[in-house]
Amino acid sequence: MKAIGGLLIILALAVGIVPALTSCESRGKAIALPNGKSIPMKCHWTGRAELVAAVPLLAVGAIMMPTRRRETLQALSVLGILIGAMVILLPTTLIGVCANPDMLCNMVMKPVLTFTGMLIILVGAAGFFLARRAESQ
Amino acid sequence: MNLLELARKNIAGSAFRSWTVGLCALLVAALTLATSLILSGAEDSLRLAAERLGADIVVVPEGTEAKVESALLMGTTTRVWMDEETLDAVRAVPGVQAVSPQLYLSTLVDAACCAVSDMFLVVYDPQTDFTIEPWLKETIGEGLKLGQVVGGHYVFVPEGEQNIQLYAYLLTLRANLEPTGTSLDSSMFLTMETARDMARISESMALEPLVIPEGKISTILLQVAPGFDLDEVALEIMHQVPGVTPIVSTNLFQAYRQQMTSLRTSTTVSMVTTLTLSLATLALVFSLATNERKRELGMLRAMGATREFVFGSLLVESGILALAGAATGIVLTVMITSLFHNLIVNTLNIPFLLPSLQGLLGPVAGGIGLALLCITLAAMVPAYRISSMEPAMAMRE
Repeated sequence: MKAIGGLLIILALAVGIVPALTSCESRGKAIALPNGKSIPMKCHWTGRAELVAAVPLLAVGAIMMPTRRRETLQALSVLGILIGAMVILLPTTLIGVCANPDMLCNMVMKPVLTFTGMLIILVGAAGFFLARRAESQ
Repeated sequence: MNLLELARKNIAGSAFRSWTVGLCALLVAALTLATSLILSGAEDSLRLAAERLGADIVVVPEGTEAKVESALLMGTTTRVWMDEETLDAVRAVPGVQAVSPQLYLSTLVDAACCAVSDMFLVVYDPQTDFTIEPWLKETIGEGLKLGQVVGGHYVFVPEGEQNIQLYAYLLTLRANLEPTGTSLDSSMFLTMETARDMARISESMALEPLVIPEGKISTILLQVAPGFDLDEVALEIMHQVPGVTPIVSTNLFQAYRQQMTSLRTSTTVSMVTTLTLSLATLALVFSLATNERKRELGMLRAMGATREFVFGSLLVESGILALAGAATGIVLTVMITSLFHNLIVNTLNIPFLLPSLQGLLGPVAGGIGLALLCITLAAMVPAYRISSMEPAMAMRE
């Protein structure tokens, strides 16, 4: 299960880092208000929310590595799957990204997070079944 | 033990070999599918974009052909202008049946008064238009009224809003056009009346006013009368109307077509290279594997297995690996091309439309077929060689 834990840690880092590099704010873009002030775009808040998903995923991966108990591993895997689903839902449904399809967040951040979320779900599912097999041996 | 069971055990018994073969199948299938999706999708896109324009000839200001094509295909916002009088001059050319002017505008960049940043706006004249107006009458039963717009496939009203705000002007989205895979899908179509009203409101309400120069138009869409040759009419326009360039619909997007030709060449080269390398790797892997398993296969023969059984088991084993690798490659390719569609379009600078589920079946079958063929070919020679050996010889070696 060390490999599964390690993979989850790598994916958690990707979830935390990718929005910081690919949100519109990373290119200095913001919404200009008529009073001259500027406010962050939608993708900025998705990036923040992804951090909230990345931290527990990092913890899941770190705890998974030394753990040997089947029940704990399975519970952690399920938690990983749920976080993976959140990683996908945040940029697609819950908050979203900027509407323009040519903006960096729409072109890179959203697909990368969706793909990473899918990988997290796959790795979580693999962890769940591997934990079950380990017990039967 | 049957063929499948034996193949499954052999696959599980040699992880390195199985991963290598599966990876080669994945590469071959993924590359075949990606190439076919992008190239056929790009051709569909160019065809649909030309159809969407619905004109036999597009007349643009001289020297702005590339700009207009980029605007129509890639949504690169552009401001090109020619005198409105050009319309009458073009209308007077023999063979011209109908003409309709269009104005190309754009929204502001990252401004609160525009719900969408840097959006390409196409303004048309409903009195003379023969592209959007007939479609509207057929779809919603009437033309656009003041303040109403038609959006490309991906244009939508922001969540929780009733209208789309551009230049502080509230627009009502009446309908969405079918997808073309080009930036026309994220463009907006509005009438001259709405555009002028928006310009008037923007002067006092928007961060920057929308400027529409008086007596200017961007392009002229033209229909040629039956019986006239498109190229001859285009040539006549070039002779009679100074300062404009007519582009015949079949010659539209030439720069992109040339880019596609070079893309086709480079993808063919990479396909051939991948296929050759995969075949060489697979032949080596299978050859090493059969040599390694001579004793085991000889034993199998000595225990009563026929030559056909041994040959079949090796082919079934390679077939399973090819199918598993190709299926993974296909799932990954479909996922990546659909998720990263916009990024690929921007990187290659060529629009492409993803096919429907039905249209996907052909390329998917092609990818799996090619992977299966490659691996079966690579496995066949070593499989035949080892299955033809006498059991005693095989065990001794």
